[in-house]
Amino acid sequence: MAKEKAHVEDINRSMYDFRYEEKDAWRIDEGLTPEIVLQLSKEKNDPEWMRDFRLKSLDIYNRKKVPDWGPSIEGLNMDEIVTYVRPNTKMNQSWEDVPEDIKDTFERLGIPEAERTSLAGVGAQYDSELVYHNVKDEVAAQGVIYSDLESALRGEYADMIKEHFMHLVPPTDHKFAALHGAVWSGGSFVYVPKGVKVDIPLQSYFRLNAKGAGQFEHTLIIVEDDAYLHFIEGCSAPKYNVANLHAGCVELFVGKNATLRYSTIENWSKNMYNLNTKRAKVEEGGKVEWISGSFGSHVSYLYPMSILAGRGARAEFSGVTFAGNGQNLDTGCKIVHSAPETTSYVNTRSISKDGGISTFRSSITVNKQAVNSKSAVSCQSLMLDSVSRSDTIPAMDVKTDQVDIGHEAKIGRISDDAVFYLMSRGITEEDARALIVSGFADNVSKELPLEYAVEMNNLIRLEMKGSIG
Amino acid sequence: MSEAMDMKLNRLPAITWYWLKMNEAKLAGVETGSESEIKAEIPAGIEAAETAENPLSSQPTGMGKDVTALVEAGTKGVYTLTAPKNRKAAEAARLTFAYNDGANAVNAVNLVLGDNSEMTVIMDYTAEKEAAGFAAVQTKVAVGKYSLLRLVQVVRVGEKFTFLNDVGGRCEDNGRVEIIHLFLDGHDVYQGCQIDLAGYQSSMKTDIAYLVKNDAVLDMNYFANHTGKKTECEINVNGVLRDKATKTFRGTIDFKKGASGAVGNEKEDVLLMDEGVHNQTIPLILCAEEDVVGNHGATIGRLDESLMFYLESRGMDREAINEMLAGARIDALVAQIPDAAAKAEISEYVGGGNTSDDD
Repeated sequence: MAKEKAHVEDINRSMYDFRYEEKDAWRIDEGLTPEIVLQLSKEKNDPEWMRDFRLKSLDIYNRKKVPDWGPSIEGLNMDEIVTYVRPNTKMNQSWEDVPEDIKDTFERLGIPEAERTSLAGVGAQYDSELVYHNVKDEVAAQGVIYSDLESALRGEYADMIKEHFMHLVPPTDHKFAALHGAVWSGGSFVYVPKGVKVDIPLQSYFRLNAKGAGQFEHTLIIVEDDAYLHFIEGCSAPKYNVANLHAGCVELFVGKNATLRYSTIENWSKNMYNLNTKRAKVEEGGKVEWISGSFGSHVSYLYPMSILAGRGARAEFSGVTFAGNGQNLDTGCKIVHSAPETTSYVNTRSISKDGGISTFRSSITVNKQAVNSKSAVSCQSLMLDSVSRSDTIPAMDVKTDQVDIGHEAKIGRISDDAVFYLMSRGITEEDARALIVSGFADNVSKELPLEYAVEMNNLIRLEMKGSIG
Repeated sequence: MSEAMDMKLNRLPAITWYWLKMNEAKLAGVETGSESEIKAEIPAGIEAAETAENPLSSQPTGMGKDVTALVEAGTKGVYTLTAPKNRKAAEAARLTFAYNDGANAVNAVNLVLGDNSEMTVIMDYTAEKEAAGFAAVQTKVAVGKYSLLRLVQVVRVGEKFTFLNDVGGRCEDNGRVEIIHLFLDGHDVYQGCQIDLAGYQSSMKTDIAYLVKNDAVLDMNYFANHTGKKTECEINVNGVLRDKATKTFRGTIDFKKGASGAVGNEKEDVLLMDEGVHNQTIPLILCAEEDVVGNHGATIGRLDESLMFYLESRGMDREAINEMLAGARIDALVAQIPDAAAKAEISEYVGGGNTSDDD
């Protein structure tokens, strides 16, 4: 008699899949033309250099090809995407001043509560604009700047923004980096002065409420020498029956002996094309730690890159990707060792079920000058049924002999031996399988602050059902 | 005069970022060659024939269609070795391809095993040390039910030679291919190998050893295509890069939907011995079936410093240690050649470890 398998439920998205009517929001016209980009630039009151930068980026976008090596994005028609939707509010520093529907959205997502209990500062973006930004007084007193990027662009840090904006991710990098350069809006700027340790995290949350819209926020973080920061990024959207687009950009500058931990719980809806670009440059003795949970989106292209530019710089990447029905999630990371004695460690888990496609894609590049560097990559994939798909595509490019590079990958299903062992300890088969699947994502959840680890486990909610026989 | 071809070869089954320059290899200005003489030593039990038509023409290979077109354009037929049904040849067949300076040669070879048969084939590609030229050999394999093919291919062409060795094959139920690939010389060497594990419990084992030195290039693409149930593959790669050598290894285990119970293992161990070397490794696992186990691993780097220290404390200098340990990687695979005469000859060529049958 055929054995009936335990059934793993999809991720429960009910807490994210709610929406409000767009009341009094202002939309730019659909599509992508020089006129639309100029109008957006005018709306944003851009400095002249930024307006020119946008137009140049649009030109690059029009010349770049759509990538043919990843998931299909044929369902994304830029002529139907609205690149800018402004909610009917200014940016506020008190939740009381935020319009009721928007405030309720973030309340339901738990952001104000998290701010009260476990965060040093919060930025909340609704569609294309920040609607709330605040940082605790004691953190601000240390000289930490946490503001929306557009205010920073016109204020005291304007020169610093100009110097760093799309410096790590130039518009020529790929088609959707160029798109971002043309139509970016919203996002956060963080500056941590030399020697300052921000003990509790900052968080930016990005919510895309508008149907058929794109979100193009830009996050720029500069952590000076000997400083420390943990930054958390969250994102979600309600599900629509038309394509939405997220093409954000994250640029991180980590100074000498500084550490930046960047955590992301991504839970976009299943109509979302998530074409995001993240990149960090790490100076001598510095460290970047990426914690990445990818659960949402219809299609994802997401590969945070770490450029280890200074002697002894380090990068760690811990990621988990869960691809369910209707999802094609192409995730991974890129590490570039460009200085001596640099180290990198990559540890990822992928889960595919119910027709979901998960691809782990990575590159470890060791340049000629990166002598005495070390890298270890481990990626594991779990297939929960035979209608799904899981691929691993890891590349290693080594241009010096004085290195130590290790790579391992495993793919398979839930181990019968492990299930048998747990059952021999009195656990039912159903519970044993649930335990194993939940534990599979432990590499990421254990790296998150407790509140976020709990949220992630709630997010996954891997319920095991069905008869076992 | 033939028209020069710009060729793409060794393309990954699933490509990745173009900037890595690892998706495929390219060869420009390749002119169509003509067939080279094959020196054949055929033991009892194996049948040799030359035919105009190639019954295996549709079999895909590791290098791809451009190389197939090159071979078809330059050959009048295919040289075929056949082990008939229920025939188990005790001795190895040996095909020697000895290229002259200035050669432009292409050859097509088929290896066909009827059900319940066995055949061992040694294919030795040689040229004078200083010889320059171009040669390509495409070998297509059909392994019947419960049959075993042992295929040894040794590349030791001249240091100015460009050489393409392309393999494509299919295994039926319980059929097995055991391949040994030794890359010892040549300036630009390209290797493709695709084995379709189509039959129930069919399997392949591929052992590869290479020594790439000076400014030579070795570009490989191995592809285990699991379509049958309970199929198994094992790809073991062990190599040494010296001087300013460049090597690319592409290895793919592809579990197609329906290949339940399949197991695939792949590993590469690369020893980097000089600062000018360039190593590229991209081991893929593609999976559309739940009930499979796939593993791959790679280690890339120098000799272990503690081992080096130990051997130095025993009176060896570093250069001698490097030579010894690099040679050991080749010797270990030479020792597995399933033919005493070939083993002795190759062992002598590489400067000889202890690889006698008494080991």
